[in-house]
Amino acid sequence: MSQIFQTGDKVRVLEAHPPGHRRTPYYCRGKVGEIERVCGEHRNPEELAYGFDGEPLRRLYRVRFRQADIWGGYDGPENDTVDIDIYEHWLKPAQ
Amino acid sequence: MMADEREPHSHDHDHDHDNMDADAHALEHIHDHDRQFQPDIEDTPPERYELMTYAIRELLIEKGHVTADEIRQAQETLDSWQPSRGAQIVARAWTDPSYKERLLKDGNEAMADFGVDAGGAKLTVLENTEDVHNVVVCTLCSCYPRAVLGLPPDWYRSKAYRSRVVVEPREVLKEFGTEVEDDVTVRVHDSLADLRYLVIPKRPEGTEDWSEDKLATIVTRDSMVGVVNPKAS
Amino acid sequence: MAEKFTSANEPGRGYHDIGGLDYGPVDPETTEIKPWEKLSIAIGNSMGGQGRKIVNTDMGRRAREGMGEEMYNALDYFERTTESTKITLVEQGLFTEEELEARMKEIESRLAEVRAQ
Repeated sequence: MSQIFQTGDKVRVLEAHPPGHRRTPYYCRGKVGEIERVCGEHRNPEELAYGFDGEPLRRLYRVRFRQADIWGGYDGPENDTVDIDIYEHWLKPAQ
Repeated sequence: MMADEREPHSHDHDHDHDNMDADAHALEHIHDHDRQFQPDIEDTPPERYELMTYAIRELLIEKGHVTADEIRQAQETLDSWQPSRGAQIVARAWTDPSYKERLLKDGNEAMADFGVDAGGAKLTVLENTEDVHNVVVCTLCSCYPRAVLGLPPDWYRSKAYRSRVVVEPREVLKEFGTEVEDDVTVRVHDSLADLRYLVIPKRPEGTEDWSEDKLATIVTRDSMVGVVNPKAS
Repeated sequence: MAEKFTSANEPGRGYHDIGGLDYGPVDPETTEIKPWEKLSIAIGNSMGGQGRKIVNTDMGRRAREGMGEEMYNALDYFERTTESTKITLVEQGLFTEEELEARMKEIESRLAEVRAQ
């Protein structure tokens, strides 16, 4: 059962590479970001892709990552970010 | 919907060749009740995927999985999705602060004022300011706010854009002729779920007394994705 | 310090999952989208509405990711759209590849007749 997150919570994306249809991109897996906003509940695309009904609904979060935390060697300003829409089951709390 | 659209068709000749021109003859075979659908009749043979698209359409209709009308309606809806709609929305946001607030709070609700129906997509509006420059991508495929911008352009769909804008946005923006100062934060938005993003670009100086209609003419599609800034001239 | 651009040969990275790789400079020039390409999108849209299980956006994406790297790289976006629709519909048993190829040949002859005139 996934935890419920609030805006501002620090989260880590699972470092996992399951086969099949996934919407969590490779470049953010294992990285730490912050919940920028809670985006409601939606049917799970990983299930819809196989003809299932995608229920129960999953909570969707926008997670903001500092570019410097995603890429070693990011040479832009340190405030630059990348915001990614990630489903709850891909997120764990981070310190 | 017409009952005969759900029955399989044969393609026996039941029309009079002598009294028909070539285009009509070809079209007659497409389906009698389908005259409005016209495949491109060009000088060069159609390529494989163009043929495949026509064939999929015919088989789906013949086998009753969709009607010609439903596809035609989908084509018309798609044609109505143009960047001019996004431009009108941005122009209103520039001139009406309370509308802008509504947009930022709930894009679907505010865009309904312009008759925009995004289906299941959650239209999310981002504002470029003195401090923040937003740019949008879908690294995994090419998700895009089609209801307000139409279909995405080649560069947005390209592997070059999808791969590099998340990791070196400022360099990619330069390739569009856009420089963002170091004291402005660049935020890249990877739209991978049900959210679709529209950027309100910064209103250029020198447009303070422009009407909404005139403002809409300078809000380009690319500026609503965040790769360029609108210009007054 | 890790490289800015990650290697494409990482296990677990799908060939479509390209954020952070380097596919070269972006060409800002655009080409007009052809009518058949719009039809390809419209077919998917007409079949993927709420409640329809035949084709939906997610199935289409899965098919894009499953068509194989060679095909994915060889085709452009709208060709991939048609290919992924085909894959999904054949998977669902709505028609076979053979039926489709036969119909494509037939349409090709019909259109060739017209061009010949």
